[in-house]
Amino acid sequence: MKLFSREHAQLLKENYPSHEEYEALLSSLSSFLEERVMPLSHSFDSSSASLSSARRELMQKGICQIAYPEEYGGLSLPFGVYCAAMELVGSADASIALSVGIHNTAAEGIFQFGSDYLKSEFLPDILSGKKIAAFCLTEPTSGSDAKSMATKARRSGGEYVINGSKMFITNAGEADAYLVFAATEHGHSCFLVEKSTPGLEFGEDIQKLGMRGTRTSEVRFVDCRVPATMLVGREGIGFEYAKALLNGSRIVMGSICVGIARTAFEKALDYSRKRRSFGKPISDFQLTREKIADMKTAITAGRLLCMHASRLKEMGEEFSSEASQAKVFSTEMSLMVCDAAIQLFGGYGYTDEDVHRHWRDARLLTIGEGTSEVLRMLIASKELARSL
Amino acid sequence: MRIAVCVKQAVDEGELRLDSEGSPVLSGAATKMSTFDKNGVEEAVRKKSEAGGEVVVFTAGPQDAKRTMKEALAMGADRGVHVVVGSEDQDALLTSYLLSRAIKASGHFDLVITSEGSSDTYTGLVGPMLAEWLSLPFIGYVRKIELRGPAVTAERALEDTVEVVEAALPVVVSVVSEINEPRYPTLIQIMQAGKKQIEELRAESLLDGAPKVGSKVLGMKAQSVARKKVIFEGDPQDVARKLVESLRAEGVLKR
Repeated sequence: MKLFSREHAQLLKENYPSHEEYEALLSSLSSFLEERVMPLSHSFDSSSASLSSARRELMQKGICQIAYPEEYGGLSLPFGVYCAAMELVGSADASIALSVGIHNTAAEGIFQFGSDYLKSEFLPDILSGKKIAAFCLTEPTSGSDAKSMATKARRSGGEYVINGSKMFITNAGEADAYLVFAATEHGHSCFLVEKSTPGLEFGEDIQKLGMRGTRTSEVRFVDCRVPATMLVGREGIGFEYAKALLNGSRIVMGSICVGIARTAFEKALDYSRKRRSFGKPISDFQLTREKIADMKTAITAGRLLCMHASRLKEMGEEFSSEASQAKVFSTEMSLMVCDAAIQLFGGYGYTDEDVHRHWRDARLLTIGEGTSEVLRMLIASKELARSL
Repeated sequence: MRIAVCVKQAVDEGELRLDSEGSPVLSGAATKMSTFDKNGVEEAVRKKSEAGGEVVVFTAGPQDAKRTMKEALAMGADRGVHVVVGSEDQDALLTSYLLSRAIKASGHFDLVITSEGSSDTYTGLVGPMLAEWLSLPFIGYVRKIELRGPAVTAERALEDTVEVVEAALPVVVSVVSEINEPRYPTLIQIMQAGKKQIEELRAESLLDGAPKVGSKVLGMKAQSVARKKVIFEGDPQDVARKLVESLRAEGVLKR
């Protein structure tokens, strides 16, 4: 399966005058993913191999540098090109895509809100993959209701002392730097905590339905002292930072889900040509064709929503509703497509891990980075406010 | 050291579809840099990092072959020369002639590298023909190259043996895939490759003295292997015995 397709090339052409350069870039990324990542996907899912080596190679290739300025080692390319790249990564392996996507959300926090010191000290290494990053917002008793977080950071001289715990943290334990949100005296604040900081502890790796290649665990802070220089942005407005970061990240998660759906679709399409029933390929049956048509249409729609939200972000327009629309649609679409793929594979779909793992992987993303329910509330409130 | 490396934009054999007659559908087929040419470019870039100098990548193909040339530039070649071939019939004889003209026009080269053959048609002819047009010694099927001052020592991977040969520079070598593992260019290198110089030469301007196209492809068919569909029945021991007997009878097992 060629990851970079005619549809990707067309979408770049529709949106960017420099599309030929971006095509070369994504085509090369696609070859890398086909040769170095896709053959390992099954072993990541069965936890028989660690994805850290392939992730390092992918980061060294430059996946995280795409949308950042050259002064931090970036390529200064549009956000939509990064999202298109993340769709390809999602097609190749959802776990690696999730790990890289979350890593880059933390990088974005440093880039958008961090001091010059934090940017120059951490960003080049994080964008080149020399350092891995994690994003710590969710807690054991607060997910969507992140504002009620119990983790606290108390100012003590030239330091902050963090106490509390974060839950379901992707890259926990593997990451070198943690973007952490905590309640401070005047509202919520954001900190960058290095792995070597005393008082930073990690729970056991949590077993999951899908995304099994990623490491997920609790991150605990026990009198964890960080210098005040590790405060990201200003004290008291960290929650606004989290919301801003999640808006961009939601487009990325939507793109990953488009990629997951695409792979499930291609597998099912291929199988439908080969599997014969009643003397002919099942692709000849009208009800199979209905599924194929609906799957393909939904994937295209998801990709277009992600590109639309990306373009608004690139242009500096308000894009929170569109980002949420892209994520709600693409994640739910991915579940529908992966479910249809299982149906087309029949008994093999239910038993073959390389078919049902796409559904298991996609299942996370109607929950993580904003549940579908919360995002629908956000979309509706934005639209109601606009219509006033 | 100046190194010339030749690449071809080949049909992506992994993406080929067959028509109802069993012939590959070449019209609109996906293309890519010929797989083994990546080994050639990699070796050229490695030799440059050892000895310094310049790597110039050459191709003779349609306008679209620039994609392949840019890939070679992203891998580390310094500049490119593209012989743009229009609607002319192109076989190995003409391709090697056009490449030789372009190489001669680009100054002196110490080392000219091709791959053992292209990953689509795999005739393996361009390398030796190029050496003839350039009047240079040719070392084929090379799995290791060592630069030794004004000479080169090479290991040739032959069917049952490895032959070690030495030749004075300049020389043309064709490399096999085991010579190295080609690098994946980073995304930054791909973007930077777009800024490297690619000189364009029109094929028709190089055709004086060109040989007539010597071969013409009349048709292509995918190789099909008829399956015997033999089913052995019985207990596992019995089935294993029958299988071994059958393989012996077919000559697959010698004893």
